Amino acid sequence: MTVATRFTSGRTGSGEAYVADHSGSSHARFMRLTAYALMPLGVMSAWWILGLAGKSLDGVRAEIARPIPALALLAFGVVGMVHARKGMDDIIEDYVHDEALKARALVANLWASRAIAALWAFAILLIAAPK
Amino acid sequence: MADADTDRLAARRPLSPHLTIFKPILTMMMSIAHRITGAGLYVGMALLTLFLLGAAIGGGAFAAVSWIASGFIGNLIILMIVWAIFHHLLGGLRHAFWDRGLYMDPRGRELMAQGTLVGGILLTLLLYIFKTLSN
Repeated sequence: MTVATRFTSGRTGSGEAYVADHSGSSHARFMRLTAYALMPLGVMSAWWILGLAGKSLDGVRAEIARPIPALALLAFGVVGMVHARKGMDDIIEDYVHDEALKARALVANLWASRAIAALWAFAILLIAAPK
Repeated sequence: MADADTDRLAARRPLSPHLTIFKPILTMMMSIAHRITGAGLYVGMALLTLFLLGAAIGGGAFAAVSWIASGFIGNLIILMIVWAIFHHLLGGLRHAFWDRGLYMDPRGRELMAQGTLVGGILLTLLLYIFKTLSN
């Protein structure tokens, strides 16, 4: 005969803090795969982002309108913000202890990261798309 | 014991020792710096998105956002973003080494921490030098 027991931790009273959600390894792998893509994209993007400093409107547009900078920056923004969203999730989960606030912060992070990635891509396409 | 009692007792316990207790060591500082540069790049990307939207629209919209990449503040923002990209990139590279079990001994991880700190600054400097030369 087996008796169902409920694991109770001293800290939370329910044991949630010690129960894995089984998404840890896919999260870690996702961060690494996006990081590999971001290494070359990051170096290239740093170069063109630095190229924006102190430029006039025409200078900024000229910097971005060429195909390779446009495509690299586009990929950097989109892949970067997916990576950044997961990283910010980690930060929120580590430092926000109030459960309701944590849930809201995670949703806000999801939509903020999507908005940044979408507007970033939109702005680059507006500048770089052939007229 | 009822859950309410457990929770009340749990809330009174201290969290694990934190920054005020640990002696600051370089590997720890670089771990924190990795997180700070990551969060900083999130904000930096939001600012750059505003800047690019302004540049895409042009006119008054560009005038409203041009502070993000020009003048003292703008140059500082760009410098911080470029440095954060390199520091965070090297921090990630360090994790790639550690994932493979390399440089995990005391000397190795100290070397990785120093490499992240010095390398991030050096690569930023090199990028500025090459950019100046290419203009």
